[in-house]
Amino acid sequence: MQSEIAALRERAEQEIRAAADPRLLEEFRVRYLARKGLVALLFDRLKSLPPDEKPRVGKMLNELRAFIQHLHDDRAAALAAARETPPAAIDLTLPGRRRFRGTKHPLTQTLDEIKSIFVAMGFGIADGPEIEDDYHNFEALNFPPDHPARDTQDTFFLSKNALLRTHTSPVQIRVMESTPPPLRVIMPGKVYRNEAISARSYCLFHQVEGLSVDKGVTFSDLKGTLIAFIHQYYGSSTRYKFRPTFFPFTEPSADIYISCFICGGKGCRLCKQIGWLEILGCGMVDPNVFRAVGYDPEVYTGYAFGMGIERIALLRHGIDDIRLFFENDVRFLNQF
Amino acid sequence: MRILERWLKKYVRYAIPADQLAERLTMLGLEFESVERLDEKYHGFIVGEVKTVSRHPHADRLTVCDVSTGKGTLQIVCGAPNVAVGQKVVVGLVGATIPKNQHDPDGPPFVLTETAIRGIASEGMICSEFELGMGKDAAGIMVLDADARPGQSLASYFDLDDVAFDIEITPNRPDWLSHIGVAREIAALTGKPAQLPTPKVREGRESIRSRLSVTVLDAKACPRFAARMVSGVRVGPSPRWLQNALRNAGLRPRNNIVDITNYVMYECGHPLHAFDHALLRGHRIIVRRAKTGTWFTTLDGKDHELPAGAVMVCDGEREVSVAGIMGGANSEIGDSTTDVVLEAAYWNPSDIRKTAKALGISSDASQRFERGADPNGVRYALDRAAALVHELAGGTILRGTIDVYPKRIRERLVPIRVSRTNAVLGTDLSKGEVTKALTSLGMQRVSAEGDRLRFCVPTFRVDIGREIDLIEEVARIHGYDAIKTTTTATVNFVHQFPASSFGDALRSFLIGQGYQEAITNSMQTEIRSSLGGATPVRILNPQNQEMGTLRTGLVPGLMETVARNLNLGSNDLRLFELGHVFRVDESSAPKLVENFLEEERVCLVLTGLVGPVHWSGTSRKADLFDLKGDVQDLLAKFGLDKSRFISYSTTNGLTDDTLALEIQGSYAGYLGKVRKEILRQFGVEEVVYVVELSVAALQQGTPRPFVPLPRYPKVRRDVAFTIDANVPAERIEETIRATGGELLQGVILFDVYEGNPLPPGKKSVAFSLELMSLEKTLTEEEIEAAVSRVVAGVQTTHGAALRGTQ
Repeated sequence: MQSEIAALRERAEQEIRAAADPRLLEEFRVRYLARKGLVALLFDRLKSLPPDEKPRVGKMLNELRAFIQHLHDDRAAALAAARETPPAAIDLTLPGRRRFRGTKHPLTQTLDEIKSIFVAMGFGIADGPEIEDDYHNFEALNFPPDHPARDTQDTFFLSKNALLRTHTSPVQIRVMESTPPPLRVIMPGKVYRNEAISARSYCLFHQVEGLSVDKGVTFSDLKGTLIAFIHQYYGSSTRYKFRPTFFPFTEPSADIYISCFICGGKGCRLCKQIGWLEILGCGMVDPNVFRAVGYDPEVYTGYAFGMGIERIALLRHGIDDIRLFFENDVRFLNQF
Repeated sequence: MRILERWLKKYVRYAIPADQLAERLTMLGLEFESVERLDEKYHGFIVGEVKTVSRHPHADRLTVCDVSTGKGTLQIVCGAPNVAVGQKVVVGLVGATIPKNQHDPDGPPFVLTETAIRGIASEGMICSEFELGMGKDAAGIMVLDADARPGQSLASYFDLDDVAFDIEITPNRPDWLSHIGVAREIAALTGKPAQLPTPKVREGRESIRSRLSVTVLDAKACPRFAARMVSGVRVGPSPRWLQNALRNAGLRPRNNIVDITNYVMYECGHPLHAFDHALLRGHRIIVRRAKTGTWFTTLDGKDHELPAGAVMVCDGEREVSVAGIMGGANSEIGDSTTDVVLEAAYWNPSDIRKTAKALGISSDASQRFERGADPNGVRYALDRAAALVHELAGGTILRGTIDVYPKRIRERLVPIRVSRTNAVLGTDLSKGEVTKALTSLGMQRVSAEGDRLRFCVPTFRVDIGREIDLIEEVARIHGYDAIKTTTTATVNFVHQFPASSFGDALRSFLIGQGYQEAITNSMQTEIRSSLGGATPVRILNPQNQEMGTLRTGLVPGLMETVARNLNLGSNDLRLFELGHVFRVDESSAPKLVENFLEEERVCLVLTGLVGPVHWSGTSRKADLFDLKGDVQDLLAKFGLDKSRFISYSTTNGLTDDTLALEIQGSYAGYLGKVRKEILRQFGVEEVVYVVELSVAALQQGTPRPFVPLPRYPKVRRDVAFTIDANVPAERIEETIRATGGELLQGVILFDVYEGNPLPPGKKSVAFSLELMSLEKTLTEEEIEAAVSRVVAGVQTTHGAALRGTQ
């Protein structure tokens, strides 16, 4: 009996394949599953088995019936599906439904990248006003009145004493005036210079200023921090050099140059054949600046640095005209 | 300033190639902007002697010349009117590159080829000053001195076998504005001393005091005034070496006396001035401040009204020179001058700067004096100049020097601690290393007590007065590269700086809503900055009136951006800007600087389609409700629950259909449709919607506490009313919320309709009511009761008729 069950199971599996249309499938059903079908015939013989075998064989027969019913139902579903008229083919090459994409201004993107590096190094972020007074923009930063150093920053004046800040350095003063040391902060923002507008210069631009003050901060720390920044931002194979220069509010002061990331230092159009790009100014905070904000320069030392965002973004993206940043042509904005 | 290699080598010996020198000094802080071999342009130019000149047979204005070049004779066709037999001239040989083309003044250099001009062969070219790139004179050929040797290279005649460096100084180092200043830096580099030549002054018997008196009335402005006199000089052209030196350094030779003053200034850095003694009335010099309203003609021929307080050098009757800036036309050296007064003074830098700025003059002298000259370099400069005048222009140096120097300015003694040096630099320098660095720069150690050293700083180093200044010098000489790099730091995270994170979040949100960030110029014309009605902040020295004021709002800048983009064919715009605006404000609102109020705003503009054009035809024009929806999302995002929109029926502002936004009871900004008149001002024809909000107001949101999720389902019932068309939807919603009771969790207006079959003046409004209990599943009775309350409420409050419920 057991072998007959297995044989029937096998036969049904073979025959279901031939049930290619509803009529043949119905014949299949009648042959196996009808009241007088092959499965029913086997069930009829159950009665004649010895009582101890009945439960086992009965279970096998039930499974057989369920199996064949399953074969039938699957086939029926497949035939039904095939009978339905095939749907009109969708043209999947049609464009999807899009939306207008928001974009972050390339200057903000550049600033965000810079910010994230310094934030990871433990710098906070502070800001300050764009309208400043002479004291914060110049005097407290160790620019004496009538000093030629003021000529390096062509200033827009709003009154005898008020002006548009020419750099973000006054935020250093404001932060130190309101915060006792130690501190570690970067200060991004807009600055204004009375310079003729051209492809290379605009009457306003953005800077990021940085300041770190604590006991025992050295030029060596300044170098380590800014080299870490350069390697993070421009890649770890970037070469650099620190060149002595002069800023009234730092001493010693340095300009930092990096090897041109286009030509690697061989000389190209971007670096004007020099192989080096100036990207940063920095130095140790001048004791006079500390005195102006009431920090004791004998106890605390610190470093400060500043960089222009436009310049970095221009170099980074190979943009040749600074005015593009302020024209906001959406064809330009869409590229970032 | 331009520095010449040959000139430098008069004061310091070194054997560093020019390019390397430039790099090394640049790395010491003295920036070399360019290195130029002067003879580069002049290969193939030699001295020739014109032997014969004859008329060109086929051209009236041309001549045919035989020019001897030492080894042979060339036939050259020449067009210059001044060519003459016996002249020594500059011959460009075939193959030479002529720097400038007379017929194309701005064109490129050209290579000379052997050619025939109107049928006559020409084997070279006799050049003008202009063609050589040596000056402006293009009218005739350049005629050289008679002692020029035919065949001699032009480079050797003009001392062009030299290298010129263009240097850019930092404002703290005026001492670098001279050859000796640069030589001293080289000395620090090489360890070899830098030395100025010792002038040999051979004085006559007559004393200067018998011919001249000097009175300084303002010793603060003029701490030192010194003069020497040379009588019986012959004014004329300088010898060639001097002319060459000046020309190669970028100065124009004038006459021997003036050339000497310039030469000495470029040599030692101290500006000098020469007067014609005969023109000094009363043979007196008085230094005093100008009287207001005085006019003065400087020696460049320009008339100036003297600024109040300008320090002037005067004679017995009148002003003769703007002190330290520029001499006067009334006393300058001329061909007939025989007796020369040489002035060397030390002027107060701040006075010079103020006056030079007021006059708009930046001269070689003013640049040096305003940054600080060496008060003790005066005598050297005078002696050197007097000796050179005697040598080159003859005459007799009068006995003695008038030197009004009431209070000697001494060398500073500046202390430096070795420990402090190392503490600032992060170095481990010894006392010996610190001393060596500073002495290499000409500073002498005068004492050493333990850690504490003291150095005597020469007076030409105006930048050094404090310990930190010396530490910088040590760092420079030690080399920034040699300072090690620290890669760990102590991070202190006590201070909280609230700035910027809100701005970042706001930007991210708006970008997510499909807006593009713009950054516009905050300086704009007063017409624009006055649009919003606020008083704009004026810039006292604007670049032009287009940028004469600061923006009082962000809308005008973005409207310009919209106009520009529309003109370029970008029609669908969603832009935002986050930035500061400014206004003059007389209220008591807190301000950082004077009465200038500065605040941060965010502005959104919207025009064109809400989404890209799509084949399914689903896009449409944006309208006010797109913008209002974005603002509502923004309020929801930042937890600004306590906010409401207020309709403004009339407005003097920028928009129609204006809604003001109130957050926590205070005005936070507005949105609306830009008015036609405003659009016209920007040349925009499209409909534009704007919103401008205060960023501070948006920061008042509070994070919402977590609300546990309800366990029971919510049910929805729709109700529709017919109501007077002028009842605002918001009022109806308020009534619904007020009457719905605590089961009413949400109200959604899903349809508004006017027209057939409704009578005129009526509208249909349909709301979905969301009902839910936190405790149980609602029964049909409870739902019915709540809906009935709402229906009754709307009916009685607004006189509405129920159209149906579902």
